[in-house]
Amino acid sequence: MSFGSREIVRVEGVVKDFRPGFGLRRKRVLHGVTFEVLDNEIFGFVGPNGAGKTTTLKILMGLIRPTEGRASILGCDVEESKFRHQIGFLPENPYFYPFLTAREILDFYARLSGVAGSERARRVERLLDLVNLGHAMDARLRTFSKGMLQRVGIAQALIHDPKVVFLDEPMSGLDPLGRMEIRDLILSLRAEGKTVFMNTHILSDVESICDRVAIIVKGRIRHQGKMEDFLPDDRRTTHVLISSLPPETADQIGESFDLEMRGLGERLELRVAEKDVNAVLEAVMRVGAEVVSVTPHRNSLEDVFLDAVRAGGDA
Amino acid sequence: MGALLRIQALATNTFREAIRNKLLYTLLGFGFLMIASGVLLSTLSYVEVDEILQDMGMSAIRFFGAGIATFVGIGLIHNEVDRRTIFTILSKPVSRSEFLIGKWAGLTFTVWLQVALMAVAFWIVSALAGAPITSDHFVAIALIGLELMVLVAIATLFSAFTTPMLAAFFTIGLWMIGHLTRDLQALSQQSDLESVTMMGTWVFQLMPDFEVFNKTLEAVHGLPIETNEIGLAIVYAAGYTACTLMLGTMIFSRRDFK
Repeated sequence: MSFGSREIVRVEGVVKDFRPGFGLRRKRVLHGVTFEVLDNEIFGFVGPNGAGKTTTLKILMGLIRPTEGRASILGCDVEESKFRHQIGFLPENPYFYPFLTAREILDFYARLSGVAGSERARRVERLLDLVNLGHAMDARLRTFSKGMLQRVGIAQALIHDPKVVFLDEPMSGLDPLGRMEIRDLILSLRAEGKTVFMNTHILSDVESICDRVAIIVKGRIRHQGKMEDFLPDDRRTTHVLISSLPPETADQIGESFDLEMRGLGERLELRVAEKDVNAVLEAVMRVGAEVVSVTPHRNSLEDVFLDAVRAGGDA
Repeated sequence: MGALLRIQALATNTFREAIRNKLLYTLLGFGFLMIASGVLLSTLSYVEVDEILQDMGMSAIRFFGAGIATFVGIGLIHNEVDRRTIFTILSKPVSRSEFLIGKWAGLTFTVWLQVALMAVAFWIVSALAGAPITSDHFVAIALIGLELMVLVAIATLFSAFTTPMLAAFFTIGLWMIGHLTRDLQALSQQSDLESVTMMGTWVFQLMPDFEVFNKTLEAVHGLPIETNEIGLAIVYAAGYTACTLMLGTMIFSRRDFK
C-alpha cells in the first residue's frame, strides 16, 4: 500500500462480515469501504444508524479485524500497537470504572500511554480543566452524568497528546453549551496541528467544523470529498413567501423561471435559484402581490445526506 | 520496561476492582467460618485433634481460595468487554497479551492477599486451640497460593473467549480433574487395555496436576516437605501459567469486540 505524504489514515477496500449467531449465515456490514484522512484536517464520517460507522472505527482501533482489505494509520497496519501512542480514541457512550475518580482514571490512561510520572499529574489537571471538569476531579465517576462521562472520555483520548484523534459521536449526551465547547475544542485541536476523525449524526456540527466528509450508507461509501464539493454555490436557493398573487401570474412566473412552488394556505412559497431572485421579485411586485419574506437557503449537507440515504435504500 | 509499567497499571486497577467485589468478601467470610469450625469438628474425635483442626483449616483455604479465583476470575475479561471499558484500553499502546497478563496478575495478587488473610486466621485458630505450627504449614499454604495462581490463569483463559457461566463450569471442572489426575492415571495403569492406559497418560500430561501443590498431609502430620518438591511445584506453576496465558493470548488476539 503506497502512503501519500499527507495521508494519515487510509482505509482500502475494507469488507467486514459478521455471523449473527451460531450456525447462521454471515452478514456483510461493510462492502469495500475506501477513504483516506489527510493531515491536519477534521474529517466527518457520517451515516444513518447501522450504516457501518462504528464498525469502521473499531477496525481502525484494532478492536475488530477486517474480513478483507486493509486499514492503516500513520503508515502502520491497524493491527499493530506501536503507533497507538500517537492516537486518541473516544468510543460512543464511553463507560469507565465507577469506583475511580476523574483524576484516577486519567492517571490510569496516562500510565497505559506511557506518560512519564512527573508530567502525568500536570497533564491530568490541565485536561480536566480543559473539558470543564476541574471542579469534579476527585469525585467518583459513579456520580457523573452522561455528559460529564463524555467529557472524561474526551480527556482520556487527549491525555497523551496524540497526533490523530478518533471521536465516535463526541457531542452525544452534551447540552447545547457543552456541544459548543466540544466544537471549539475540536477546532483548537486542528489549530494545534492534529488530525481529527469524527463519527457523528449531527450534520450541523459536520457542516460547521469538518474540512472533508464521507457519507456511508449500508456499508458503502456514497460520497466523499471536501465540504465545498458537497455544497456547490449553484445549489443555493432563496425561499420567497408571497400572498395575494393571482393564479394566472403564478403560472406565468412558473413558466418563465426554473423554480419550485408550494402552496401554504393563502400564501405561496417559491424556491428560486439565487440568480433569478431579483427578476422573480420584480415580477411578483409588478402585479401588486405582497412579499411576506425572502429567506436565502443553502442546500445543506442534510439534503445531500438524505439523498444518499434514499439512494442507498433503493440500491 | 514500558510493557511492565502497563501491566502494572492494569494489574493495580484489576486489584482495585476485585477488592470491591462483594462475592469475594462472602467467600472470604465463609473461609474464616470454615477455618474456625475446625475447632468444633476436632472435638468430635479423641485422636488427631490438632490434625483434624489444621486439615480442615488448610482445606478451607484451598477451597475458598479456589472459589475466589474462579468466581472473580471468570468475569475479568467478560466485564471489560460487556461494559466496553476494553475499547479505550486497547486503543492505547497496550497489546492484548499485556492486557490479559495485567488482568491475571491483578487477580493473582488479590487471591494471594485473601490466602494470606486466611493463613492469619488459620494461625490464630491453631494457636488458640494449642495445635503446633511449623514453617511447613506456611510452605503448604504458599503452595496453595501457587495452585491458585494457575487456577486464575485458567479462569482468565476461559474468560477470554466464553461467557462467565461456561468459564466457571470449565474452570471448576479443570480444578476438580486437576486433583484427580494422579488417581485417574493410576487407575488407567491397572487396565489390560492399552488404549485406556494411553488415555490415562494423556489426561495426566494435558490436564493440570494440582496435587503437586498439595502438601497439607505432610504439614499437618509433621512429615518433611522436600525442597525438590517445592522447586518442582514452583517450576510447574510457572510453566503451566505461562502456557495457559499464551493460549489465552492467542485466542484473545483473534477476538472481535463488536
